[in-house]
Parts: sequence; structure tokens; C-alpha cells
Amino acid sequence: MNRPLLEITGLSKHFGGLRAVDGVSFDIRRGEILGLLGPNGAGKTVCFNLISGVYKPTAGQISFDGQRTDGLAPHVIAGLGIGRTFQIVKPFAHLTVLENVLAARGIAHYRHLPKIWSSWKTSAERREALSLLERVGLSELADRLAGLLPLGNLRRLEIARALAVARTLLLLDESFSGLRHEEITQIEALIRSIRADGLTVLLIEHNMRVAMGLCDRLIVLDHGRKLAEGRPAEVRASEAVIEAYLGRKGSAHAA
Amino acid sequence: MSGYLITLGTIIAINAIVACGLNVIVGFAGQISLGHAAFFGIGAYTAALLATQAGLSFWAALPCVLGMSAFIGLLLGVPSLRVREDFLAITTIGINFIVEAIFNNFEFFGGALGIGGIPRVGMFGLKLRGTEFLVLCLFFLVVVMVVCWWLTRCWAGLACFALREEETAAASVGISPVRFKLLAFVLGTCMAGLGGALYAHFMRFIAASDFAFPLSVSLLSMVVVGGMGTLWGPILGACIIGVLPEVFRPLVDYRILFYTMLLLLMIRFQPGGLLGENSAARRVLAKMRPGGRS
Amino acid sequence: MALFLEQLLNGLATGSIYALVTLGLALVYGIMRILHVAHAAVYTIGAYVGLLFFNLTGSLLLAVLGSMAVCALVGVAIERFVYFPLLKYPPFVPLIASIAILLSVEELCRLIAGPQILTFNAKLPFPDFHLSGVTVTSTITAVYCITAAVLLLLWFITTKTELGLAMRAASQDMAVADAMGINSHLIVSVTFVIGSAIAAVAGILVGIYFNQVYPTMGAIPAYKTLALIVVGGLGSVPGAVVASLLLGMAETLLIGYANIPLPRDALAFIAMIGVLMWRSQGLLGSR
Repeated sequence: MNRPLLEITGLSKHFGGLRAVDGVSFDIRRGEILGLLGPNGAGKTVCFNLISGVYKPTAGQISFDGQRTDGLAPHVIAGLGIGRTFQIVKPFAHLTVLENVLAARGIAHYRHLPKIWSSWKTSAERREALSLLERVGLSELADRLAGLLPLGNLRRLEIARALAVARTLLLLDESFSGLRHEEITQIEALIRSIRADGLTVLLIEHNMRVAMGLCDRLIVLDHGRKLAEGRPAEVRASEAVIEAYLGRKGSAHAA
Repeated sequence: MSGYLITLGTIIAINAIVACGLNVIVGFAGQISLGHAAFFGIGAYTAALLATQAGLSFWAALPCVLGMSAFIGLLLGVPSLRVREDFLAITTIGINFIVEAIFNNFEFFGGALGIGGIPRVGMFGLKLRGTEFLVLCLFFLVVVMVVCWWLTRCWAGLACFALREEETAAASVGISPVRFKLLAFVLGTCMAGLGGALYAHFMRFIAASDFAFPLSVSLLSMVVVGGMGTLWGPILGACIIGVLPEVFRPLVDYRILFYTMLLLLMIRFQPGGLLGENSAARRVLAKMRPGGRS
Repeated sequence: MALFLEQLLNGLATGSIYALVTLGLALVYGIMRILHVAHAAVYTIGAYVGLLFFNLTGSLLLAVLGSMAVCALVGVAIERFVYFPLLKYPPFVPLIASIAILLSVEELCRLIAGPQILTFNAKLPFPDFHLSGVTVTSTITAVYCITAAVLLLLWFITTKTELGLAMRAASQDMAVADAMGINSHLIVSVTFVIGSAIAAVAGILVGIYFNQVYPTMGAIPAYKTLALIVVGGLGSVPGAVVASLLLGMAETLLIGYANIPLPRDALAFIAMIGVLMWRSQGLLGSR
């Protein structure tokens, strides 16, 4: 099975006259950590929203495991085992941390009308959700209201929630942004362990140093187009990237 | 118990059943509805017509009433729930006005005269009246509350809560927004229909104006005053909104003003409701109960 | 034919009055995203205060100006003391507060002025027209002229002045407007002043047009105008005006000729649901 897990061909998304994503093609290979880089407004998050079904593409197609997924609704795409986080965190604020993950872990039930009526209080999913919380280091906060957590914990919660859904592919949208150095190190280790479990990870990252250290391959977007693709060292050496990204604003990070 | 208190209690119990249904829609699933009285009316008219035209007993008609409420809830919910939040508020107001106009203008529904001669509910060969009927209403209130309680611990309820909090995030974890909003909407309209059937057999005469828009506002006030999304909020709200006009009765002319001003002050200074998070009542309770989750 | 034309002109007058009320609602929704049901309360107050001043002074001009001033104050008070503190809650919280205000004002008017229908016997200083058998009464002429004047003035303010620019900026995004140095809360208040003053004019016009002022005169307009701003496209002022004029004519003509079995007040909501099915952004709205 050497077919890529996710194939994106000629993907475009236009908002009126704005070409947020403009004819982008790339593959995600099974078991890799792929980084999506680019300056602000390069179209990274729009790409995520296209893959996860929040937007419908203007043109182009997305295939997941050989199946066309462009145009499917977000909850259907989640049902395929694709989990995602949000750059601007979106917790279920008035639910507890545990209930946040449980709501995601219930994905196996949501499509079967009889099953949605069973209680989650004593379910196997509850234990799985607790172990996911342990994995991201939030098990002590399981009964807190999610809306009261600081940003670092919210980012972990988002990862736990996405993991509850992600059987094959995890999409992480700037999971490090706004975090302190030691928190970044912890989450880096977490992402490596997720990959070690056999999941494929696509992540958007602004911080060049983190992306270079963590990712197997990088894709650089600028103005909605793909600027470069390759191993971190190759991308780093690319003239176009240095000019468009590092030269303008990333020099401090890249050093 | 005096007849007056029994009547008041029965009305409050029926309102509490309907408010619980509204709470499922507004409090649990986060979908505003300002047309809940329409579904209350649909239940009442279905029950009244089945009793007077088809000669069915309350019990034989009940499944039809619930089915009809669910069906119309589904029919009106599919287009309404696709629109944005603000549209939904106005759409549901519109549904209320249109349903009332239909009841009022079609001969089939008794027109402006309404429907009279609705029999009392029979049970074990008895005709339920007074306290017995109140007990029947309380029984149904308990049934509705058990359903609501179960919702707080089953997957369907969790999905609704998640949708209420963050629709995009809920969809990203596999929760179909349309399906679960509809589910909450239909559950809510069924409870309203049940309340309507009880109301028809209690009043024994119904008219379109019983289910006009102001009732929808009262029902929503009950949910908001009690505490949206809480289990006991709608019951507390139904009691307060039901009892207040009686308490204010000595104020004669000023009582409606007091009542509306109180509602305004309540929503202005305690928008989460009496039993909502961070409410004054909650804080007092938390202080009285050391170690309790505040 | 003459009857049809007269009906059409009546319908247009009704629509013009709807437009004057709906305008304020559309302005407020555009800038605050609040369904300002209490706007109909402001309109009721406008009619009562106008009638009071008219009876006291005998001058219609003073009555209109006084009523506009009182309504502007009431509008700003509602915005400052009720809506603004509730902006951080889900939109139905200010909506319920708004309904509570409407009901309270209805009660206040009933307690102060009595439940009976008061008459507003003022002669508007506009001429009658007689054109080939069609009569346009002075009241209808007045409704047309005043509506046109208000619309022109509003158009001028919103498109040609700095205030209008600030209003449009604030309705796009208040935080951004603040960052640009616009005091957006002040702009919101100004919007309420304008909308409420127009509601006062509408209240007085309705009072004279139907020769009736009563406590619950705002009840039907309160919800009908909600339907109208949806039909026009939420927050679109031109859309609200077009929808109002169309509804006024449709109500008069359909009830007069088609003999539909529904009351005319349900028509707005049926139109609204039709629009939501067919064009959910409204007649002139944009997504």
C-alpha cells in the first residue's frame, strides 16, 4: 500500500476576488509528520478547512484513502477518522474537560439512531476518554469546565478531542502558538508519540524552528500557492522560500 | 386543597411540561424558539379534534398527538434550523403567527369559535377532575423530567450540548448539526404537544388565542428565569411565572407592569437564570454547602 | 380602475409607514446585531408624546420635534442601560429584554393615558389632489412627502457625511472601528437617536393617518417589522424600505382583491418564510 493517505490535486478556494488557495497539489504519505508553512494569509488554515469540510473547494479534488472527500460535510469527514484542532481554540466551554473529549469519543454512536440513547456515564468510551486525557496530561482537570482553562491546557484539550476522532489522520492548526517554551517541548514529544502509534499528522506551524525539528517533510504556501516542498533541509535552502518567508519575517525564528 | 389552588397547580404543571420541551430546544441544543406556543396549540387542537370528531379517548389519541407534534416539528424544523440564529428567532415568531391564523380562520379548526365540548380524561372508568387530573399532569411532568434527565447523560444529549457550545467544533468531531438540532427540536415539540393535549382536556374548550405569541414569550421567560439548560430551571420558572401574577393580584392595575418589569430586571441582571451558572442562587447554595462545586 | 389606483396609493402609504418603523430596526440590527423589538415601544411613545404636545401647544411642528427628542432619549436609554450590557450574551437574551421593554411600555401607556383609543385630530398642512377621478387625501400626500424627506435625509447622512462613514465602519466591525479612532459606542448611540427620532415621526403619522392612538398600537408592528427586515435582508436599510413598500401594497391589494382566508397580518410572515426558502439573504442583502 504505497498510495498516499491523502491526495490533494489542483485545490482552489476563492472568496469573491480573493484567491485564498489557488491550485495547490500535494500528498500526505502514511505515517509521516507533514508541516504546512507560510506567512500569515498564505492559505494554510483555508487548506485545513477544505480538507476537514468546513469549506467546499472552488475547484480541485481531495481524496482520502482513494475516496473523494471534497464536498462532504465536516461531520462525515470526521467519521472517516480525520480529527482536527483549531488555531483559535474552540472548546465546548460550559462542558467539563472530560465531557469535551467524550463528545468527540461518541463519534461511533452518532450515526446510529438507537445507540445515541445509551448512557455515556458507564461506557467504555468514558475510560478511553480518560486515558486520552492522561496522555495529554489533563487527567487531573477532568471535572473542570473547559472554558476556565488557560490557553496551554486548551491546546492540549483540543489535541485530545481531535485524537478521540482521529483513527488515521490528525490535523493540527498551530498547536504551539501562544505557548511557553517548556509547553512546546511537551507537545512536540506528544506529537512524536502520536506518530509512533501509527497516525499520520498534518500540522500548520508558524514557528520555523519547531516545524524544522518535528516534521519529516514541509510544504510552504504563499499567497495561496505552493512555493516549495521537500525535506526541512531542502526547504530551508530554497531561494524562493528564503525570499518569501524567511527573508521577510522568519529570520529570527530560523536562526 | 381549594379548587383555585388545584387549577393554578394544574396550569403550572402543564406549563412546566411545555417549558421543559422548550428547554430541550433552547437550553440543551442552543436553538432559539419563539414559537413554542404554536406546538402547544398543535397538540391541543389535535387532541381536541380527535376527541370531539373521531371520538377517541385521551389515551388512544395520545400517540397520534405525539406523532402529529413530531411530524409538524420535523416539517417546520427542517427549513428553520438551516437558517442563522437571528433568522431562527424571527422564523419561529412567524410560525407562531401563521399557526394561530390558521386555527383562527379555518372552519375545520372551529374558526374564531374554537373547539368546545372536549371530554374529561377517563381512567379506570373514572372521569379525572380536580386533584386527580393534577396528579395525572404531575405524572406526565415526571415522565418529561426523566427524559430530560436521561438526555443529560446519553450520547444524544452530549451531542446537543456540544452543538450549543461550538457548532464548528462539534461538526469536526462527527456530530451532524442538522440531525441533532432536529432531534432536540422534535423532542421539544413532542413535549409541547403532550402539554397541549393535557391543556385541551383540562380546559375542555380551546381557541386560537390560547396559543398566541405572548404565550411563547411567557414560556421562554420561564426557561430563562429558571435557568436555561438546567434540569430544574424550567420547573422553577413555570412556578414563578405562574404564581407571580397571583401574588401581584392585590396590585390590581399595576400587576402586569410589575410582572413585565420584573422580567426585564431579571434578564438584565441575571441572564443565566436563577439556577444558571454564576447565579446568585447558585452562589448562596455553594456557600451553604461547603466543598460543593460552585 | 380608479378604485384600484386608490387602493394602490393607500397601500403605498401603509408601506411608507412600515418603512419608517422598519428603518430604525434595520439600522439597529445593522450596527448591533440585536432584534430591537422595543423599537415599536419607542414608536408608541412617539405617538403618545406627540399627541400630548399637540394637545398642550396646538402646534403640530412642536409636537413632532418634542416627540422626536423624547423618543431619542428613550432609544438611547434602552441602548445604554439594557442592550449594551447584554451584548456578550447569546442574541436571544437582549431579544427577551427587548420584548419585556415593549410589554412594560404598553402597560405604562395604558396606566398613564388609559386603555381607550385616543383620537389625533390634527390637520396636516398638505394639499389634497384630484386627478381624473382619483383622490389623494392630504394625509396620504403628507405620508408620501414626509417618508421621502426622511429617506433622503437618511441617505444623505449615511453616504455623504463623516458620521455616515463612521456608522458604516462600526456596522462592519466595532473593534476595528475603535482601532481606527472611531468611538463606536457613541456611534451606536447616535444610530439609536436617529432610528428613534424616525420612529417618533412614524408614530405621529400613524396616529393621524388612522386617527387612533392606543397602548398596544406597537404590538403588531413590533413583529411585522422583524419579518420585514428579514425579507429586506438583515441589516440592509434599502432592503427594509423596499420590503416595507411591497408589503404595504401587497396587503392592501391581496386583501382587497384576492380574498385570501388569512388575516393581513400573517402575510408578512408568509412572505418572510417564502424569502427564506428562496433567497435566504433577503431581497437586497448580501452574504
